[in-house]
This record gives sequence, structure tokens and C-alpha cells, in this order.
Amino acid sequence: MKKMPLYGKILIGMGLGLIWGLSADSLGLMEFTINWIKPWGTIFINSLKLIAIPLILFSLIDGISNLSDVSKLSRIGGRTIALYLATTVIAVTIGLLLVNVIRPGKFLSPEKREELSRTFAADLDTKLTTARDLKDDGPLQILIDIVPDNIFGSLGNNTNMLQVIFFAILFGIAMIMAKPEKVKPVKSFFDGANEVVLKIVDMIMRFAPIGVFSLLASLNIDMQLMTALGVYSLNVVLGLAVMVFITYPLILKFFTRLPYLKFMKGILPAQVLAFSTSSSAATLPVTIDCAEKRLGISEEVSSFVLPLGATINMDGTSIHQGVSAVFIAQAFGLDLTLGQQLTILMTAVLSSIGAAAVPGAGIIMLIIVLEAVGIDPTGLALILAVDRPLDMLRTVVNVTGDSTVASVIASGEGELQTVSDVPKP
Amino acid sequence: MKKIPLHIRIFIGMLLGILLGIISIVFHLGPFITNWIKPFGTIFINLLKLIAIPLILVSLISGVSNLKDISKLSRIGGKTMALYLITTVIAIAIGLIAVNTIKPGNFLSKEKQVELSSKYAQDANLKVSDAQKLKQSGPLQVIVDIVPDNIFGSMGSNRNMLQVIFFSILFGIALIMVPEAKGIPVKNFFDGVNEVILKIVDIVMHYAPVGVLALLTALMVDFAGDDPKQALELFSALGVYAFTVLLSLALMILLVYPLAMRLFTHISYKQFLKAIMPAQIMAFSTSSSAATLPVTMECVEKNLGVKEEVSSFVLPLGATINMDGTSIHQAVTAVFIAQAFGHDLTLVDQLTIILTATLSSIGAAAVPSAGLITLVIVLGAIGVSPEGLALIIAIDRPLDMCRTIVNITGDAVVTSMVATTENGFQKVEPLN
Repeated sequence: MKKMPLYGKILIGMGLGLIWGLSADSLGLMEFTINWIKPWGTIFINSLKLIAIPLILFSLIDGISNLSDVSKLSRIGGRTIALYLATTVIAVTIGLLLVNVIRPGKFLSPEKREELSRTFAADLDTKLTTARDLKDDGPLQILIDIVPDNIFGSLGNNTNMLQVIFFAILFGIAMIMAKPEKVKPVKSFFDGANEVVLKIVDMIMRFAPIGVFSLLASLNIDMQLMTALGVYSLNVVLGLAVMVFITYPLILKFFTRLPYLKFMKGILPAQVLAFSTSSSAATLPVTIDCAEKRLGISEEVSSFVLPLGATINMDGTSIHQGVSAVFIAQAFGLDLTLGQQLTILMTAVLSSIGAAAVPGAGIIMLIIVLEAVGIDPTGLALILAVDRPLDMLRTVVNVTGDSTVASVIASGEGELQTVSDVPKP
Repeated sequence: MKKIPLHIRIFIGMLLGILLGIISIVFHLGPFITNWIKPFGTIFINLLKLIAIPLILVSLISGVSNLKDISKLSRIGGKTMALYLITTVIAIAIGLIAVNTIKPGNFLSKEKQVELSSKYAQDANLKVSDAQKLKQSGPLQVIVDIVPDNIFGSMGSNRNMLQVIFFSILFGIALIMVPEAKGIPVKNFFDGVNEVILKIVDIVMHYAPVGVLALLTALMVDFAGDDPKQALELFSALGVYAFTVLLSLALMILLVYPLAMRLFTHISYKQFLKAIMPAQIMAFSTSSSAATLPVTMECVEKNLGVKEEVSSFVLPLGATINMDGTSIHQAVTAVFIAQAFGHDLTLVDQLTIILTATLSSIGAAAVPSAGLITLVIVLGAIGVSPEGLALIIAIDRPLDMCRTIVNITGDAVVTSMVATTENGFQKVEPLN
């Protein structure tokens, strides 16, 4: 049992949960499930929510304050960040476009949707009143809401993620500007705290098999829901495919002389590892190796661009955020306004900067996105069933995106000509 | 654009704000201003409020835990601290007396006060129910309220400043008492965070020109509606308020300091003023006692003949914890805003002002506009909505320049007094 990799256990938990959920009703075990199994799923979701604010706060402060080296490499640095932001925005946009066209949530019948929203969105009424309150505010209220007037107040509430992000960025920038010898203890503290938070995420993920089992077992799955989930998964996969087969080739064609086939061949080992670990951080050593040895990117560029990308650039995860948020809203029968979709775009981009490159962080970011648009995050239960395989796929896109940007930067620095051909594997 | 100093840019922001305000009153652009300009002012106020609690928390912990070094470093430490505290309390008392006598807030009509209070002080109703609760509680409830039962709860609301101050002092004292080896990492951490927060103040102040423009414009539109004459009422009240601040500052320089010098030193006040004039000019143009510090030290040593062993200890400490001018401004402004909102401040409220203003002057750093942030603390402590800052923020910078003069003059006065008792003078060439 010890030797089995975590994702294997999660898959087993998923399968058992699915079987339990399908058979519980006919075996008359519904009440038992709700009383004795569902709480473990709730605990799993709670612990994910618990770690969300510390993760954002520490990883962003840590990430931004590390950028002091970026200002040294300001030419490469500015370009890298701009490219990372651009690809992330493109990714979220693709996701949003697809999900609004395909509308996987509409594969649920209206009654089913109502039932779901009764189950999950108990506080829909309060949400509606908040929405009505929002209408009375001026058009720039969004901007005001980003700036907290008390950071401890914002930290104490999971709905104020953007305010926490704002403060963390401000704090990180101020750390870069302050005297280095004074700030050193602060920096070591946040480095350490960041490390600790990542370990906590690790520990929570170990609990994931049980959590996933309980969530699925208490979901009361029926075939209609499975169809909708299938369409949703296809939707995510389609978005990822558009990114890998259209967006990246175009970017490479415009900005480099690297043929896309050669590029794909070069980073294949990194993609395989990304798929099996679902972690860009774990894949990073292999990605750097591929970029340097097989694509001919200099160490100078790759050692800076790729680790930064593993932290702040997550194109695949961003696509998934956009699709999932809208899917859950559709499943609850909520119509998202253009403003809300823009909020999704903004939160997904900003939180992808903050989220660390570990498996499972994507789900936490999704909570951030959901709460930012006012959807009950317990709706996550809907998609957790298919999250793991999708996480594997989107990590492939994450790593591919990082490598694409690294190639563009390297090409701008006049590199990429040194390696004439990819060595035969 | 980069080369223009910040205070000039703030002045430009003020002028443009007034101009835009007049234009929008005349051309009835009210809704446009409220929708598209005012939010940037609100963001500025939010930013100031955002820094207040971290600043007071970290700077007080860091400040109090530094007192150990001070008392160890020098036996004049206690004397200096006491003198600084006394001058600060005197300064606040003068400010309070002046503002309660002149009542600049009453230059606004009663209807205006009600209107302002409903516009800016959203929690006015809360305040009323609080007051009713107060009547039912015992006489020592004030003290009970200072001791928080959950520090994170207190930090999560801008209304519990005294509780945060209490906790910070407690933490700072405990930090002095723990073994050095264990305490040092904690202390270094808080010192570092303190540094970071000061930088955040810097960053926020770069945004000040825009914030001041937006606030001033929005204030004029809110206040006057479409009637330009009402804008005059606003400006006359603000004028009287500024006059009150300046009068109190003048009382300090022309009455309190000369008296202190005469009683405790043998330096004539005229000679003293002449000697520190360069530092005063520097203080006026930079609004920063920290930036002025080198000049102040030179004036005190070369022109007054204070020995370096005294000045090198007393003056830097003063630049950090002694802010007579800033404290006067805190007192006058807090009461003015309360008056403008039609609040009547009780004696307890006024004592709270003395307490918070003194304590936060220990914490607040010697950077321009830190006073604005400590003001959030004072207002929060007496339950006046910090939104009222919008009223005075626009004319803060010129007053900041004047109160910095008083800050460094106070430092120099205390230095002279300490030097007298310590035999800390050497012969100098008389000034011409």
C-alpha cells in the first residue's frame, strides 16, 4: 500500500466512491452515507479552503520578493512576465469561449439543476441580495473592492481573495524596495512559511483518496450527471488541445524560427513526466534539461524563465479554471454576467501567479475563482470526480506553455541556432 | 514628470482638484464625478486605513522592544524618554484646548453636519447604540474594553485601535523579557516588517497626488451639489481648521518651548532659534524629521555646542518617537472631524485622543504623512469614521510641512535640556 503512488490511490478512491454512490440508493444506505461518509468529504473541502489564503499570501509574497533578481535581468524579466501574462489571458479566454458555446451545464435538466442548487447553494438568497446591492454601486466599485481597508479583516474571510492578493503584491514590492539587510529575516520567514504551507498541501493531498471517495459516494450520482461531466471533461480537453495545437504553434511561428514538430519532440520527456506527476514543480528539472540539451536554450535563460514559469505561468490550469467555474454556475442554473466572466478572467490570471506548482493547488485556486464570482464553492464536489485525469492533462499544457515562452525569450536573445537537430532518442 | 518632487505634485493635485470641483459644480457633472473620480479617492483612503493596523502593531512592538537597548546604552535614556513624553502630552493638550475653544467644525451649518455624517460616517448609527450601551456599563468599562479577548478579532476591525496598541505593548515588553537568544529572531522579523511597511507608506504616498485630486473634487461636489456658494462654507471651515492647527503650533514654539528653555537651561531662546534655523528650513521643505536629522545634529552640535555623546543619542530617538507638531495636528484634526460630523466628544473621548495620539507618535515613523495614518488610529479609537479624513486630506501637506518644524524644534529643546543637566555643553563660536 505504501508503495502505491498517490494518484493511484486517488483513482481507487474515485472508483470506489463512484460504485458506492451508484449503489447506495438501491441498497438503502443513503442515510448512512450522509451521516457517516459525507462529513469526511466536507472535511477534505474545508482543509483545502483552510490552506487557500495562507498559500496565496505566502507564495505571492515569496514569489514577488524573489523578483529582485528580475530587476537585474530586467530586459529578460519584463518580457518573460509579459509573455506569461499574455499566454495565461489567452488560455482563460479560450476556456471561457468554449464553455459558453458548448454549455456542458445545460446537459442537466432544469429539475436536476434546481435540485443541485438546493443541495449546494443553500445561501443563494443572500447571494442574490448581494447581487442586487452590487447594482447600486458605481462602475468602479470593483476597483475599490480590490483595495482592502483592513488586511486582517480580509484574511479572516475566504471571499476576499483579491484583497489578499493585492496586499501580498504590495508587501512583496515593498520588500524589494526596502534595505536588504533589514528585510532578510522577513524574507527567510516567508520562505520558511511558504515551505511549510506547501507541506500542509502535501499532507492534505494524502487525505485526498478518502476525501474524494466520500465526496463521490455522497454525490448521489446518476447517469444524467455523468453525461454532463463527460461533456465538461471534453470541453476542458478541447480547450487544452486548442492551446497546444493552435496557440503555441502560432506563437512559435511568429516569434521564433523553431519548427513546432522539433519543439514538441524536444520537450516530450517533460510532458510525459508532467502527465504522470501532475506537478510542474516536480517536472522542472526535466523541463530545464530538455530546454537546454534538446532545444539549445542557454542555461542563463532557462534557469530563470522556467522556474518562474513553474510558479506563475499555468495556462492549462487557467483554461480549467474558466471552464469549471462557468460549468458549476451553469449546473446551479446561474447566469453569469459579462462582469462576472471578466472577474473569472482576472482572478484566474492573478491566482495562477500565486498558486504554487504542486498537484491539487488548482482546486484551491478554483475556490478563489468561485468565491470571487459568488458561487458556492461546495459546487466543486461536482467536478472533483474527474479532476485528477484533467489535472494530469493540464499540467502537460502548463509545462508546454513554460517551454514555449522560454523558446521565445531565447530566440529574442539570438539563441536556438546552436543545436542543429534533436538527437535521436 | 519623474523629477518633480512629491510635495509639488501633491500641490498640483490639490489645485487640479479644486479646479475640477468648480467646473463640475458649475456644469452639473456631479454623477460623473461620483462614478468615475470619487472611487480613486476612496481607494486612497482605503490604502491609508489598510496600513494603519499593521503599522501600529509592528512599529510599537519594534519600538518598545528597542527600549531595552536605549536604557542599556545610556543612563540618560530614562530622562530623555520622560521629557519626550511630557512635551508630547503638553502638545496634544494645547491642540485639544485650541480646537475645543475655536470649534472650527461649527463653522459648518447644522444641516451640513448631518448631511456629512450620513454621507461619510456610515457607522453613525452603530455609534449611537454604542453610546446607549455605554450608559448601562460600569465606570471601568473603558479599561475593560482596552483589553482584547481575541487579538485577531481586534486586528480585523479598524475600530479597536486601543486593543491593538495594548497587545503590541504587551508583546513588546514580553519580547524584552525573554532571553536574548530566543527573542532576537522575533525582533529581527518585526524590525524587518516595520521596514517593509514604511516602504508601503512610500508607495502609497506616490499615489497621493491622484488621491488628493479625487478626494478634493468629490468633496466639493458632495458638499456643494450644484450651488457654488456652499463650497465657500466648506473652505471657510477648512480655513478655520488650518488656522487652529497653525495657532497651536505657534503656541508651542512661542510659549511652551521658550518657557522650558528658560526654566531648565541657560540658553537664550533667541540664540536657540537662530542656531537651529537651518534645520527648521530643511524640515519645512522635506516634511520629514528623519531626512532633517543630519542637519539638526549639526546645528545642535556646532551652533549650540551640545556634546556629540548627548546629541547622537537624544536626537535620533526624538526623530522617531517625539512628534509634538504631529501630535497637535492629530488632536485638532480628530476633534474637527468629530465636530463636522456633529459628534459630541466626551471627556473620555478626549482622554482617549491624548492616549492614542501619544502612543501612536511613539510608533509612527519619521516619514512624511505617517501622521495621516496614525490619524486613522486616533479616529478609530474614538469611534469616528475614518472616512472623515476625506475632509482634511487635501490640505494635509502644507500643514505637514509646518508641523515637522515643530517636531524637530521640540527635539532640539529636549536635547538642550538633557545637555544642561548632564553638563553636556562645550564652548562654541557665537553666531553672527
